[in-house]
Amino acid sequence: MEIIFKNVTHSYEANSPLEGLGLDDVSLTIHDKKFTAIVGKTGSGKSTLVRHINALLKPTSGTILVGDREITPETNNKNLKPLRKNVGMVFQFPESQLFEDTVEKDIMFGPMNFGMSEADAKKSAHKMIELVGLGKEYLDKSPFDLSGGQMRRVAIAGVLASEPETIILDEPTAGLDPVGRKEIMDLFKNLQEQGRTIILITHNMDDVANYAEEMVVIHDAKVKAVGKPKDIFNDRSLLTDDILTLPRSAVFAQRLAKKNFSFPQLPITISELTTEIKRQVHGD
Amino acid sequence: MNKLILGRYLPGDSIIYRLDPRGKFLITFYFIGIVFLANNVASYGFLLLFVLFAVYISKINLGFFIKGLRPMLWLILFTVLLQLFFTPSENPLWHWGIFTLSTDGMRIAAYIFIRFVLIIFISTLLTLTTTPIEISDSIESILKPLKVIKFPVTQVALMLSIALRFVPLLIDETTKIMDAQRARGVDFGEGGIMQRIKSFVPILIPLFVSSFSIAYDLAIAMESRGYKDGEGRSKYRVLSWSKRDYMALVVMLLITIILLFIRSY
Amino acid sequence: MENIISIKDVTYTYPESKKPAINRLSLDIYRNEWLSIVGKNGSGKSTLAKLIDGLIESETGTIIVDGQEVNEKNIWEIRSKIGIVFQNPDHQFVGATVEDDVAFGLENQGIPRDEMVKEVDAALKMVDMQDYKTRDPQSLSGGQKQRVAIAGVLATKPSIIIMDESTSMLDPNGRKTVLDLVKQLREEQNMTIISITHDIEETELSERIVVLRDGEVVQKADPKAIYDIGRKLTNYGLEEPFSSQVAYLLKDELKLPEGYLNEEELIENIWKLSSKM
Repeated sequence: MEIIFKNVTHSYEANSPLEGLGLDDVSLTIHDKKFTAIVGKTGSGKSTLVRHINALLKPTSGTILVGDREITPETNNKNLKPLRKNVGMVFQFPESQLFEDTVEKDIMFGPMNFGMSEADAKKSAHKMIELVGLGKEYLDKSPFDLSGGQMRRVAIAGVLASEPETIILDEPTAGLDPVGRKEIMDLFKNLQEQGRTIILITHNMDDVANYAEEMVVIHDAKVKAVGKPKDIFNDRSLLTDDILTLPRSAVFAQRLAKKNFSFPQLPITISELTTEIKRQVHGD
Repeated sequence: MNKLILGRYLPGDSIIYRLDPRGKFLITFYFIGIVFLANNVASYGFLLLFVLFAVYISKINLGFFIKGLRPMLWLILFTVLLQLFFTPSENPLWHWGIFTLSTDGMRIAAYIFIRFVLIIFISTLLTLTTTPIEISDSIESILKPLKVIKFPVTQVALMLSIALRFVPLLIDETTKIMDAQRARGVDFGEGGIMQRIKSFVPILIPLFVSSFSIAYDLAIAMESRGYKDGEGRSKYRVLSWSKRDYMALVVMLLITIILLFIRSY
Repeated sequence: MENIISIKDVTYTYPESKKPAINRLSLDIYRNEWLSIVGKNGSGKSTLAKLIDGLIESETGTIIVDGQEVNEKNIWEIRSKIGIVFQNPDHQFVGATVEDDVAFGLENQGIPRDEMVKEVDAALKMVDMQDYKTRDPQSLSGGQKQRVAIAGVLATKPSIIIMDESTSMLDPNGRKTVLDLVKQLREEQNMTIISITHDIEETELSERIVVLRDGEVVQKADPKAIYDIGRKLTNYGLEEPFSSQVAYLLKDELKLPEGYLNEEELIENIWKLSSKM
């Protein structure tokens, strides 16, 4: 599903003296089956933006198109289930959404709300628990007996179990150790390769460089830049205004450039970096 | 959930903000008491003028106060209509079954309405201009005499201030959990009563779990910073009673005297 | 070197768990060192911090902090020597405003008010938050909240500061300001710093790294020796330092010296190779 924002503005507590702007005239297309990263400082409007995609928030003005579904300020709360089934959302620290007495029931909760039969939901739970790297033996446990990292995986399984076409991730790896972080990120990359659309909110520029094909920079409730990560990380105007930080490989390249190396385009991944170093050491 | 104005503090600065919270707290309750002394157009009008004047010198937009009425709207409407149609009268303007409309009824309904406005405006003024911690300090200070009967005033005050401190955090947490469950297909406020009650289970359980985990973390943090049981502590925050606070009390006294003169016996 | 903390043969099992979180662990921590404790989620890092502060009680062994054994009798004195900055900035903010929160520890010690006012101001100045004195926590960023938490700890003048994953919930900006602050404090004051983290880059600043796995110390050495472990650091839930990752990928074609090189050394070596060609 393609997701299109057309002149979307969102104000908090509209018409009250405490009014604030969450999104300011945002127009944006998020492409089908792509891995899109959304970056920006804390409070820039990233979370507000993605909450419009499954109508948890509605625009104050403007339109959002999710496939053929249209969300406008007038959209009412009825009949949103088909939309929310198709747009899965993993929140920050999603382990706080667990509530059932077994892992299995918790994973089945979403699918059954969306009308999946009990048998199918069960099947889905069995599939997803393995997909997130926990064994079937976890299904009968209480989610509250698990470690934080395991709870995180159960919560992610619970979102995936409804088989959404689009998956929105709000800093899904915050607080995990590096190994756990990589496993989770690889899982999402695999899902994308199987034909899902992935939208990732993150502060980790290495993740953006390693996983994303498209990148959106949000700043002060506005879209500041959209494009391929490589192009955006090479856009000097974004870096000088301190809107964006660079992946570690690009920083390393910048330091090498102070010696006798030159990078017309900054490498953003470690393999780009090392290939370029080898070429320059051997080549000229 | 964020739309509630009553009970919310609005950062600002004016003479009302600078009054000692203990004084403000007592004056608010005192004022709510004397509202019930008003019994004619002049006395209600006088109190209304006083409240509007207080709002004016607080430098807060009147809109906030009108918004403060909103959560109470149904209660106000119900009470006013009750007075309007059920006040017994010798010479009704209109009569139908159990309903009676009379000038008396209209007058009493208007009085009731003004009474609501007065009480809500003055309480909103207190909470808008006084931080929750100042309110809890005032309560501690006012309850101090109870220490004599071994009532744990300091502990209760700390408890109150921590509870107040965590209200916004829990509201955020609730919003977040609700969003997460809505994203998983929960419809709040759909279906029959049982359905609706059931839809709150996925909110309440996670909310309990996170409240407990916040409480546990906080207890550990407090203990690591040397908190024992509330005794032997000194106090950083002090309230200072100044000339303008005496002035405020004098003003209240004058209001009372004038009110007593213009009310009818 | 003089020990400020010595842990001997300590075990702790959480009530609801079968496996011990800390298992017969012994460790000496030196006065004025900066020690990093690393390991996977659930390796026992935070449990160890709580044991040192007497917030939970060990089943076996002893812990000595600054010459005193951690027990019922000494606990309050020991806690006054240790300041802990916890992970979640929202769950440790006790006061209603910044200044109230910084004063909390001082109030607990019964310090007279005029002295407190001075200490609070001084502590806020140290973390560069004096302009936020009267703000409420809701209006602060995560990094600012953690700086206030550090000020609250500094106000009571502890000799040991434990940073219990204090930067893990912050965005890169917040993380940087907090780390810069700790670095600066370390230079200005005589303090022992114990930093619990799973960010390998944060450990570069420390003098020693202790690696925990399943509640046991599995590695204990200076950063260079730990980084020499290379790829296998992932067995402990850690990432290989970035410069090692780069060096590893270059080694098949470029002749780099053996062992760990930090970024600067690596750049220097790459540069040398390229100028030789």
